[in-house]
Amino acid sequence: MIDEKPVASPGRSDDFESGEARTRNTLRRGNPLESLGGGAVRLAQDLGGIVILTGQVLRALVPPAIDGRELVKNLHKMGNRSVPIVVLTAFFAGALMMLQTAPFVKKFGATSLAGWGAGYAVLREIGPILIALMFSGRVGANNTAELSTMTVTEQLDGLRSLAIDPIRFLVVPRVIAMMVMLVALTVIGDLVALLGAAVVGRAMLEIDFSTMYHSFADNLKPYDFLHGVYKSIAFGAAIAMSSCYFGVTVRGGAVGVGRAVNSAVVAAAVSIMLLDFFLTYLSA
Amino acid sequence: MSPLARRRIDRASSEPAGAEEPNPRSSITALGTTALGASRAALELWRVFVGTIAGILRGFSRSGDRRGRPKGELVRQLHSIGNRSLIFIIVTLGFIGMVMTYQACLQLGRVTGDYSQVGSQFLRLIISDFGPTLTALMLATRVGAGIAAEIGSMKVTEQIDALRMSGVLPIDYLIVPRFIACVVMTLALAVLGSLVMHAAGGLTAQYSFGVNPGTFYDLSFIRGRHIVLFIVKALAYGAAIPIVAGFCGLRARGSSEGVGWATTAAVIGGSLSVIVLDFIISAAALVLTEGDL
Repeated sequence: MIDEKPVASPGRSDDFESGEARTRNTLRRGNPLESLGGGAVRLAQDLGGIVILTGQVLRALVPPAIDGRELVKNLHKMGNRSVPIVVLTAFFAGALMMLQTAPFVKKFGATSLAGWGAGYAVLREIGPILIALMFSGRVGANNTAELSTMTVTEQLDGLRSLAIDPIRFLVVPRVIAMMVMLVALTVIGDLVALLGAAVVGRAMLEIDFSTMYHSFADNLKPYDFLHGVYKSIAFGAAIAMSSCYFGVTVRGGAVGVGRAVNSAVVAAAVSIMLLDFFLTYLSA
Repeated sequence: MSPLARRRIDRASSEPAGAEEPNPRSSITALGTTALGASRAALELWRVFVGTIAGILRGFSRSGDRRGRPKGELVRQLHSIGNRSLIFIIVTLGFIGMVMTYQACLQLGRVTGDYSQVGSQFLRLIISDFGPTLTALMLATRVGAGIAAEIGSMKVTEQIDALRMSGVLPIDYLIVPRFIACVVMTLALAVLGSLVMHAAGGLTAQYSFGVNPGTFYDLSFIRGRHIVLFIVKALAYGAAIPIVAGFCGLRARGSSEGVGWATTAAVIGGSLSVIVLDFIISAAALVLTEGDL
């Protein structure tokens, strides 16, 4: 379907000139100070918008009038349907961490410590971060796509004209669903990741499952697990707010929708990393 | 909520079109449909990949004929994929480098209290795994989503069909420059990201745990095979991201909703292919070096 033979020889269209002009425009966009300032203003606008939207969501929660059906629908769509991708990611994350500890284990013959290295890395950092990134791609981006499609087709205005607050009806259930479901998926994913580590340890390092279990049980503390889980609450909030913000503020048709999804995943990735840093520092 | 409002909502917020999937008759039908769809998608992905490689080879053999690709397109793509990702990569990898060092030192402090090998082992891990992989995961969200959104919008506004009508291969015109730019820039950004990650880790170790920078910035554990692994991984990720994203973009259907779905699929597909490739390459390297990586 895609690689069909060209019918005629490619002609030199007007695109040549315009392409060159576009290149020039991209590379020399006037004053570097100007573009720096423009970027800073856009960043401030987006940050402010996210803060305002968060305020509106919190305000909508004060007499907690949440639309039950919308909430259940979103919980199912965002949680249950993401289980396969999260399980797959988590399994590979655990397997990868075991592969990284394998050289040490081989060198020192310390099979009983294999579970410590892999498990600690997975539960505290790699597991929650990778699951949150996948969740942001699967659910956050999807949510932005859906909300921004509704925005560009003026369905939000339609709701407003029926005296229904779009924040209360659309945004609040999504935010709650994402926060709840990311925590649940992180719990599942952590367990699957440990399983992945054990399977790779068995396959590549010939460590028995029982040895691996004791290695996990002796070296990992409940707090290591909780540390990852409570970080995922913050990640869920960040993903939810950025995806809803870029969804409801989109402008300009199909191109705008694509750009909104792009901005939402980038904002989510940056905020996941920043939050991870600050939460790790605060909690240690 | 009052019953009146409830009824109004029911009437107003009928599902956005296409969100509900057709209800399959039985689970076997569903399984078969999924398998057929997956195999068709895999074939199409393969064709995009082969088409891109063929496009690059054709570019070598006929250097004068660029198949209608605008002059400077490659530079433009290098700029938009590489330079525009600089701040994003520096911020994300810098912070994750700090967090990883912090966690490692915290754990080591409880067990042995000996920080002398943290830096050199961290550098080994960065070069053989974390540097290229985390850079590529970040690029899969930023660049992959960007490529899919751009090509997807062109698809739904029928610009791809227009290209084909004027005798231009969409893959040569759109995906080849992005592919080359992404391979080059993933390697470059992976080098930068690894440096930032290690430097940020060194600062954390110095200020939070009093580790001497001289012992942290220690290259003694790095061997040639780690560098090879770094380059192989970066090139593999750099190739996978634009192929998956371009494939998702070319599959976009409908209107703005289709573009949204394509972008989502590109992010997921790109990230997952990075993780799976990482696993395959790491396992292969471990087997090839017999565990002495």
